[in-house]
Amino acid sequence: MSIIVSKWKKIIISVALLACIALTACSGGGAEEGDGSYTVAGATETIRILSGSENQELEHILKECAEETRVNLEITYQGSVDIMRELQQGAQEYDAVWPASSLWISMGDTGHITKHSQSVSLTPVVFGIRKSLAEELGFTSGDVSVQDILAAIQDKSMTFCMTSATQSNSGASAYIGFLYALSGKQGALTAEDLEQDALKNEIRELLSGIDRSSGSSDWLKDMFLNGDYDAMVNYECLIISANQELEKRGEEPLYVVYPYDGLSIADSPLAYVDHGSAAKEEAFLAVQEYLLSDEAQEKIQRTGRRTGYEGVSESNSDIFRSDWGIDTQKVLSPITMPSAEVLLEALNLYQTEFKKPSLNIYCLDYSGSMAGEGRDQLVEAMGQILIQENARQNLLQATEGEVNIVITFSDTVSHVYEAADASPESLQSLYDQIREEECGGGTDMYAAAEEGLRILKENYDISGYSPAIIMMTDGQSNGGGTYTDFEAVYREAGLDIPIFSIMFGDAEEVQLQGLAQLTNARVFDGREDLIGAFRSVKGYN
Amino acid sequence: MRSKLAGLILLAAVILAAGGYYLFTLQGRTEELSGYLGGEKTGLFEDEEILSILKEKYYLEFTYSKAGSLDMVTADQSGMNYLFPSSQTALSYYQDCHGQPARSEIIFNTPIVLYTYREVLDALTKAGVITEQDGVYYADMEKLTDMLLSGTQWADIGLSELYGSVTVDTTDPVKSNSGNMFAALLANVLNGGNTVDEESVEKILPDLQAIFAALGYMETSSADLFSQFLRMGIGARPIIAGYESQLLEFAAQNPEDYAAIADDVIMVYPSPTVWSTHVYIALDEAGSAGIDALLDEEIQRLAWEKHGFRTSGYGTIAEAGGGVVPGVAEEIIRVTNVPDYPAMKKIMDGL
Repeated sequence: MSIIVSKWKKIIISVALLACIALTACSGGGAEEGDGSYTVAGATETIRILSGSENQELEHILKECAEETRVNLEITYQGSVDIMRELQQGAQEYDAVWPASSLWISMGDTGHITKHSQSVSLTPVVFGIRKSLAEELGFTSGDVSVQDILAAIQDKSMTFCMTSATQSNSGASAYIGFLYALSGKQGALTAEDLEQDALKNEIRELLSGIDRSSGSSDWLKDMFLNGDYDAMVNYECLIISANQELEKRGEEPLYVVYPYDGLSIADSPLAYVDHGSAAKEEAFLAVQEYLLSDEAQEKIQRTGRRTGYEGVSESNSDIFRSDWGIDTQKVLSPITMPSAEVLLEALNLYQTEFKKPSLNIYCLDYSGSMAGEGRDQLVEAMGQILIQENARQNLLQATEGEVNIVITFSDTVSHVYEAADASPESLQSLYDQIREEECGGGTDMYAAAEEGLRILKENYDISGYSPAIIMMTDGQSNGGGTYTDFEAVYREAGLDIPIFSIMFGDAEEVQLQGLAQLTNARVFDGREDLIGAFRSVKGYN
Repeated sequence: MRSKLAGLILLAAVILAAGGYYLFTLQGRTEELSGYLGGEKTGLFEDEEILSILKEKYYLEFTYSKAGSLDMVTADQSGMNYLFPSSQTALSYYQDCHGQPARSEIIFNTPIVLYTYREVLDALTKAGVITEQDGVYYADMEKLTDMLLSGTQWADIGLSELYGSVTVDTTDPVKSNSGNMFAALLANVLNGGNTVDEESVEKILPDLQAIFAALGYMETSSADLFSQFLRMGIGARPIIAGYESQLLEFAAQNPEDYAAIADDVIMVYPSPTVWSTHVYIALDEAGSAGIDALLDEEIQRLAWEKHGFRTSGYGTIAEAGGGVVPGVAEEIIRVTNVPDYPAMKKIMDGL
C-alpha cells in the first residue's frame, strides 16, 4: 500500500513540476526582488515571515530559497520584542516568525500557535568598539567585563549606540547583561534585585552613555555607518558586516569585545505559525529545510553567523577575522536570563526609569496644502501619542522627565507649545492647543526645524536626553528656507539631532529624505501605519 | 509543440484524476484527530513511516499543536480529540481539573537523563559526582543536589571558562514535563531518597525553590531546550535535564550531525532517576481510536528504533539511536517514584 502511495506522490509531484516549468517559461521566470518579498513564478504558496531586521542581510539567500523551494516569501521586519507582542495577539498576518532569540517565541506564544521552531544560526551580542579606542582602553587583550566598560563610560572616554531594549533583542539582551554584571549576580536576577538603589544608579549611568538608539539591530548598524560614533552594541554578525563596509571605505574597523559577565547569544529561531493550513505548513517546512541545508548553512556562515554543530570552519576565517577581535574558539558562556516576570519588569523599568528621557520636538505642518484630510490625520496622530490613554495601549506613553514640545508652522513658525511636564494632564492640554489650530499659507519646514534646533541648543543640555525632532508634514516645502541653507545651519549647530519625518496628506518624500540623510534619521509613512511609525521613532529615542 | 503540450496537459489531467480518486477513497475513511502534543514527540508525529501506518492501517491522521505537558491540561481544548503529555502527573492534573477522560493509556516510557559535555563530565567525575559503570555514566544525585544548593561555581570545579554557578538547566517545571520530572526527582533526593508525600514535601520545598530560582528563564519545551543545548555549546547550557529518547532520536534521525558531536555530548543517568510516562489522554470517542493505533506493534518498534522511546516490547539496546550512541543503559535499575499528584501539585504551586 505504501509503495502505491509513494508512487502516486512521485507522479503527482512530477506533473506539478511540469506545470511549474511551463508557467515559468511563460512569465520569464526567476525570483523578483521587492521590498522584502520574493515572488517565484509557479509558486502556489506564500509564506509571510515576521522577522528581526538582522535577517535583512540574508536577502540573497532568501531569494535563492524562494527559487529553490518555489514558495513565495514575504518578509516584514520588526524588532524581536515587537515580534513577541505580535505573537501574543495571534500573529494573524503571518505564517512564520523569525526573531533573534527563542526567548521571544516562548514568551509570546501564549496561544500555542507556533511549531517546528528551529535555530537557523547563532550570533553573540557583543560590543564593537573603534579599534584604536579599544586599544587605548586596554580592551584588546585579556578578558573584559561590563564593569570595565562602565568605567570607560564613567570617565567619558566612550559612548555607544544600542537598540531599544523594549523593542529589539540585542538591546534587551545587552541591557539584561548590564543588570547582571552590575548586580554581581551569578544566579537569576530577581524583582528585589531591580529595586536596589545602587543598581538603579549604576544602570542609569551606564545607559547615559548611549548616544543613539534604534528599534532594530540592522537599522542601528546602518545608522552607525552613517554617523560618527565610538562603539555599538550589536550582533557579532552585524559588527562583521559593518567592518566589511568600513574597510571598503578605508575607515577604521570595530574591535569585537565579549564582556564575560554580561554575554548573551541570539539563536535566530524560525518557527511556523499555525493558522490551520496544511499546504502552508508544507511550504514552510520546505523553506526551513532549505535554510538548514548544508549549502544554505555554509552561505549563512559566510554572512558572519555561526552555524552547524561543528562551529565556524577554518575556510571562513576571512570573515570571522581575529584582527577584528573575533574569536570563534572562545567558549561563549552567556548569562542566565531572568524569569519572564522579572524580564518584563526590567524592560518596563528601562522604558520608564532607566533610559535617558526623550526630548521630542514635534513640528506640525498647518500649511494650506495640509487642509482637510492631511490636517485630520495629523491631529488624530497627535491624539495617539499625547492622550496617554491611547498611548499606553501601544507602549508609547510619556516617561518621567520626558520633554514634549510642539512647533506649528506654515511659511513661518506659528506657535511653540511646551507641555509643563510629562503628566497626562499636561499632555492633554498640549493636545487641546494643537486641535484648535487652523491650516493656511505656504510651507517652510526648514524654518520649523531651525527653530527646533535653536530651542535644543539654547534651552537644554541634550547629553541628558535622547533628543529628536519629528517633522509631521506632507513634505511640500515651498517657503523661503532651502535645504542648502538649513544644511549649513545644522552643521553649524554641531549637534547630533535626528530629524525624523512622518508623512501625511499628499506626501512628497524627496525633501524629507534629504533631511533624514543629513541628520541620520528616517522617514515613515504615517498614513500607512501610524502606530508603527511612532514606535519606530520611539525606538530611536 | 502545441499538440505535444496539449497531450501533456491531458496526461496530467488523467493522472491527477486517478490520483485524486485514490486519495478520495482513502480520505473518505480517514478520521482526523487533533490535539496537544509534548514537543519531544513531534519527531515521531512527523515520521512518514509512522504516519502511513496510522493512515493505512487505522485510517487516522493526527494533527497537533505543540504544548507543554502541564500547560496543555489547562489550555483551550475546544475541538480537540486528544492530549499526549509525557507524565502521569499530567493525567492526574487533568483529572483534577476536568474529571475522568474518555480513555487514557500509557504508550511509551523514557527515563529522565542529564546531557552534558565531555569537559563537564571530566570535572564532575573528578569531583566524585559522576561515575562510570560498564560504559554507562551515572550521576550521584545526592552529591549533585548538594552542589546545586551550595552555590558552587564552575570555576570551583576547574571549569574557569564557564561563567556563574553550577546549574542543571531544565524546562519550566510548572509548564513542561521534563522540568517537572526533574523537580520530582530532586524533591525525592532532598527527602533523603524517599518519595515525597503531601506532608514531607513542605520540608524540602524551600531548597527546591532555591535550586529552580537560580535558573531564571526556563524554556517551555523539552525539544527546544535540547536543541539549544546541542547548538549553543558547552558555554550556554553545560548540563541539561531531558529525556533519554532525545539523543537516541537525534542520532537516528541526523546521523551526520550526530557524528559531529558524538565525542563531545554525553548522556548521564541520574542515580536514582525517574520514568517519564507518555500517557495518551483521549478527550472523546474519536480520540480513543488513537490509543490502539499508537500501541500497534510496528509503531512501538519504530518508536524505539527511530525515536528512542522505550516500549513494552522494545528490542535490544543496539537497535536504538541508529546503534551509534554509546552509554545507553540496558536496564534502568535505580528508579524513584514520581510523587503522587497532591505532592506534585504542591511542588508546582511552590515553583
